Amino acid sequence: MSETTAAAVARSPIAASPATVLDGWEVSARAATGASTLSDETPLAKVLVRAPFDGASRKALGVRFGRTEHTDVGSGEVLLVGSAPGEWLTLGAPGTAPALRTALEERLAGTGEFTSVLDLTHGRALMRLQGPAATTVLAGVCAIDLADTVTPDGTALRTSVAAVVTDVVRDDVSGVRSYLLHCERSSGQYLWDALLDAGSRSAVEVTGFRGLGSAGSAR
Amino acid sequence: MMLLPCPWCGPRNAGEFKYAGEGGARPDPATTTPEEWRRYLYFHANTRGWVTESWYHGAGCRRWLVVERHTLTHEVRGVRDAVQVAREGTR
Repeated sequence: MSETTAAAVARSPIAASPATVLDGWEVSARAATGASTLSDETPLAKVLVRAPFDGASRKALGVRFGRTEHTDVGSGEVLLVGSAPGEWLTLGAPGTAPALRTALEERLAGTGEFTSVLDLTHGRALMRLQGPAATTVLAGVCAIDLADTVTPDGTALRTSVAAVVTDVVRDDVSGVRSYLLHCERSSGQYLWDALLDAGSRSAVEVTGFRGLGSAGSAR
Repeated sequence: MMLLPCPWCGPRNAGEFKYAGEGGARPDPATTTPEEWRRYLYFHANTRGWVTESWYHGAGCRRWLVVERHTLTHEVRGVRDAVQVAREGTR
């Protein structure tokens, strides 16, 4: 009798229907045709860095609180987000979390500061709201001024979105307005449903995994 | 709606914050009597006017803040990071 072991499949907290497997993750197989979309980006590697907000680590990472940057820290293209004072969230391609964590640890090793680098990939939910209706939909569930003058492309902030503490990252793709929304895994499905509910009048459609779509440029 | 001007995040809805009571110097555990601890923990001046308070921005920067607020009008005239205040010893 032969023994076979199926490859482990990671699952997002957001139910995918119909589902397919991509890079070891169960993702939605849908492909939206509308302009405004919501996609589950939970498979992206998510690594959190904590360090003093105003010291050598901030200089080594090159991103201040409230801003983002598409860069390469040695593990491929990543989105480095200054998510809070002394807190950085790094997003990378699916499956790159161990390499990303190592690369960040090496970069911070010479700072002489107390830092911590933690892989949160399976503990958080991440989604992308994109398209011309993205601002209207998001404005319906959070109290932040989303005008270009206040929150331009490359802005990162944390606030209450549909009563869930959420990192909101404006990460436009090819000039199309786009927001990454990052929250605790246990709130992922609720936040997803709340956004779909808020977007029902704006014809927001569910689409499959997109990944980091922007071309690398510092902002 | 009450807005609190967070020094890190800008003006935010007070619902994003957790009110942690009137500020004040923490008693020395080595010399404080149980009665003094009880007064420190549970008794408040409840002033009608300007009060220095502690707030926690749980849905934002996750920093403790020292807020000067008028309890009658809810006017806020100063918000500072508690770490900075502690370093300067200016609370």
